[in-house]
Amino acid sequence: MAGLLEISHLCKSFDTIKVIDDFSLEVTEGTLCCLVGPNGAGKTTTMDLITGRIKPTSGKITFAGEDITGADEHAIARAGIGRKFQVPAVLRDLTVRENLSVAYSRQTNPFWNLCRFKVPGLEQKIDEISTLADLTHRLGEKAGILSHGETQWLEISMVLMQEPRLMLMDEPIAGMTEGEIEKTARIFKDLRKSTTLIVVEHDMGFVREIADVVTVMHMGTLLAQGSLQEIEADPRVRSVYLGEQEAA
Amino acid sequence: MNAKTSAKSVGTNSKTTMGNPYHNKTAQWIAYTLFFLALAAIPFNVDDDFLLNQLATYGVYGMLALSISLCWGFGGILNLGQGIAFGLGAYGMAMTMQMQTQTAENPVPPIMLNNGLDYLPFLWWPFQNTVSGLIFAVGIPTLFCAVFGRIMFKARVSGAFFAIMTLAMLSAFYTIILDQQAYTGGVNGITPPSPLQLGSFQIDPYSPAAYWTVFFALLIATVIAKLITQSSFGLVTQAIRDDAERVRFLGYSVSSYETTIYTISGLIAAVAGCLWVMVVQYVSPAQLDVGLSISMVIWAAIGGRMSLLWAIIGAFLIQGGQSYLGDAFLSTWLLILGGFFIIVVRFLPNGLASLVEAGLGMLARKPKETSFREPSGVKPVPSE
Amino acid sequence: MDFGSVLNALILGVSIASIWLIAALGLTIIYGAAGVINMAHGALIMLGAYSSYMLQHYIGVPYLLCIPASFVIVAIIGLVLERGLIQYLYDRPLDTLLATYGVSLVLVQGVRLIFGSDPKYLAVPEIFSSNISLGFANISTFRVVVIAVTALLVLALWILFYKTRFGIQVRAVMQNKEMAASFGINSSRIYMMTFALGAGLAGVAGSLFGVLNIVLPTMGDSYVVQAFLMVVAGGGTLAGTVIASGFTGELQSVFAFITNDTFARFVIFLLIVVFLRFRPQGLFAKGGVRR
Ligand SMILES: Nc1ncnc2c1ncn2[C@@H]1O[C@H](COP(=O)(O)OP(=O)(O)OP(=O)(O)O)[C@@H](O)[C@H]1O
Ligand SMILES: [Mg+2]
Repeated sequence: MAGLLEISHLCKSFDTIKVIDDFSLEVTEGTLCCLVGPNGAGKTTTMDLITGRIKPTSGKITFAGEDITGADEHAIARAGIGRKFQVPAVLRDLTVRENLSVAYSRQTNPFWNLCRFKVPGLEQKIDEISTLADLTHRLGEKAGILSHGETQWLEISMVLMQEPRLMLMDEPIAGMTEGEIEKTARIFKDLRKSTTLIVVEHDMGFVREIADVVTVMHMGTLLAQGSLQEIEADPRVRSVYLGEQEAA
Repeated sequence: MNAKTSAKSVGTNSKTTMGNPYHNKTAQWIAYTLFFLALAAIPFNVDDDFLLNQLATYGVYGMLALSISLCWGFGGILNLGQGIAFGLGAYGMAMTMQMQTQTAENPVPPIMLNNGLDYLPFLWWPFQNTVSGLIFAVGIPTLFCAVFGRIMFKARVSGAFFAIMTLAMLSAFYTIILDQQAYTGGVNGITPPSPLQLGSFQIDPYSPAAYWTVFFALLIATVIAKLITQSSFGLVTQAIRDDAERVRFLGYSVSSYETTIYTISGLIAAVAGCLWVMVVQYVSPAQLDVGLSISMVIWAAIGGRMSLLWAIIGAFLIQGGQSYLGDAFLSTWLLILGGFFIIVVRFLPNGLASLVEAGLGMLARKPKETSFREPSGVKPVPSE
Repeated sequence: MDFGSVLNALILGVSIASIWLIAALGLTIIYGAAGVINMAHGALIMLGAYSSYMLQHYIGVPYLLCIPASFVIVAIIGLVLERGLIQYLYDRPLDTLLATYGVSLVLVQGVRLIFGSDPKYLAVPEIFSSNISLGFANISTFRVVVIAVTALLVLALWILFYKTRFGIQVRAVMQNKEMAASFGINSSRIYMMTFALGAGLAGVAGSLFGVLNIVLPTMGDSYVVQAFLMVVAGGGTLAGTVIASGFTGELQSVFAFITNDTFARFVIFLLIVVFLRFRPQGLFAKGGVRR
């Protein structure tokens, strides 16, 4: 079975520094892949490359059999890739409800949207997602006044509203309380039944909880891949990553 | 339509008195209705032709402020070159009106003859016929906006950069129109000798007919603009204003949205340009002057760029004040205007509208003093 | 189209370039260091011209001394402007653009109320009003003075920005305000100084333009847009502005030679728009914002 997302021999340099160096990855549909690695390993850059925020120097990315290398951000999003940013990015001047409405982007054509005043199914979807994210009582508030944790939830909810086939979550639990982290883990495991996820996370406890596959990046290359047990047993990983964590 | 909106609003409004009526959609439609009813009452109470003509020009300025509010207030695209669409529309209209007075024996307008051109240049051909002339007068500026906008937004030129580019483009048009005397009349522009003729009907600039034409154009433009802001398109546009980068990752082609709102705004300005010439029977490069284009932004800013209605009111107040004081006090007036503009930009980003918003907010709060402490409806549940 | 007149056009181009450059220098400093789009720049140029006029007319200061004096006067005005208004708007570029336009309205109308709309003239020493003949080309002495002053200012600015402590601090603030702050650089002070410096340069430009043209309240208006395009095309760096001005000055002169002056300006505007379309960050700037 071919992967939903296939990255092959991806390279990206900024000026002369190679940030991503011959990185390949295959993500199977319906799995939750955790992308881990020390700070500066290139995880966020990889997400930037997948979502078209930056263009690769060389290499190829295919999604659902389609070549999306170097495509525009919106085209990639429409193809079915949703993303949560490392630094939570929500529309701060808009209300939570408006944030979710915008994210429900089934119709993206400007001319169609000029004549649309009611979006079928939107209210129901907002109800469903906001209940899941515990944001119902905040729907009328401006997103800019939300707490850090709530902002994280809002952005995750926006990705859910998009109903993507592949979700990229860059450090989704940063700034969350223990309880919220548990809940996130529950929701992610639930989501895996219907979608595919790539989650970047430093918290190994959380990774242990949710991951089907763990991919370790180091200096822009793929260091190891496998189940968490395999990864933890890998001596190279221990030296560059887990060792570092224990030392810290 | 008026009756329907107000009838509906009475019902809903009494139920939802909590919150600021400024943000209530129904209340907004009522305010717009009242505003236009007031404007519609003017011709019945004014019999000074000159004043009516002047009020019609204010209507044109109102349309320009509206177009800026739509593009800048809602779309976040600061356009300092709205004079391009306005000016090109105005030139198109002036050319059409000029050609209406040319006859078969005398097909070439005097501006060409005076500049040593004894045939009608290609540029003027579409304007020989009134219908095609009007279509071109509105179509060319709109097309320009669509193409220029597309090129710029596709290259992700935005913010202050876009503002500078529009300024540069405006200056380019200004200089070329100034330069091509034989085609445009140069610095003197075009002064069509007689009013606009539509079929057998003549729209005398000093008649109520001219006022009503402007009135309905402003009404239609306002309703369309208001509907746009309330549509899904409007929401996405506001999202783009907030964080364009983020919206791309939701699947929207930001450049298409930006181009569309910029073009619609340009279309409104082009129509305003046509109406302006209909009302004043004159056009010159001054309509593409940088100062005028920035004035449009000032009208919208002082009135309140986020509110279509207040942007229009801003134009009325400023242009009204300017002509009320007359040329003798022009410098003093502009001095005060400049100072006020600085204050607005620094302290009142939403202009006079924010004062109204705050006032209405206070009014709405007072009678609800008791229930204010305990918001009605859903009680927030602590998430922990 | 003989060789001599082409050369003449090229030399005239240098002269045009120097005018654009000196008009743009102050803007470059302010835009480059603080990212402020100062629409009041034209008004500051005008104030420079009026300062020189007042000094000359009421006190009888010799013209050559009026130039540095205008620098000081307009720099002080710039300082007041920065402290009173601009410093609150640094993180709102569009608002600075608009607010400074308001400032320009106030300044222009204020001057008009005080001095009226009739033109004033600046007198220059006898030797400046002659022509220099280079055999194949003719150029007025004063234009040579403008070129010389421009060259001197560019050199002085280059030394200031690349050879002094102040320059290092400015460049540190430009690159990263927070980082600079952690090294003990007071960015607010740096912004204030650069704004005053930029305004002072506008003053110098004004005292020169007052001789090239007549002194009017609106005399600065025509320079702003063009000067801005130089700055933006140059990417906000000193070298960029020098190159952009040089290119456009020459191009304008050559186009004006082939067609006429107005048409040449049209072509320049179009070319700049096209250039910026493909290089929105200008000649030398690097792109890319981190998220
Ligand atoms: N635009 C850029 N220009 C230059 N270098 C960059 C750029 N973007 C990223 N880098 C560099 O690329 C490397 C990888 O960065 P990236 O943000 O992908 O790391 P990461 O794995 O997400 O780290 P973290 O866990 O801290 O989020 C870093 O060394 C960073 O400095
Ligand atoms: Mg990262």
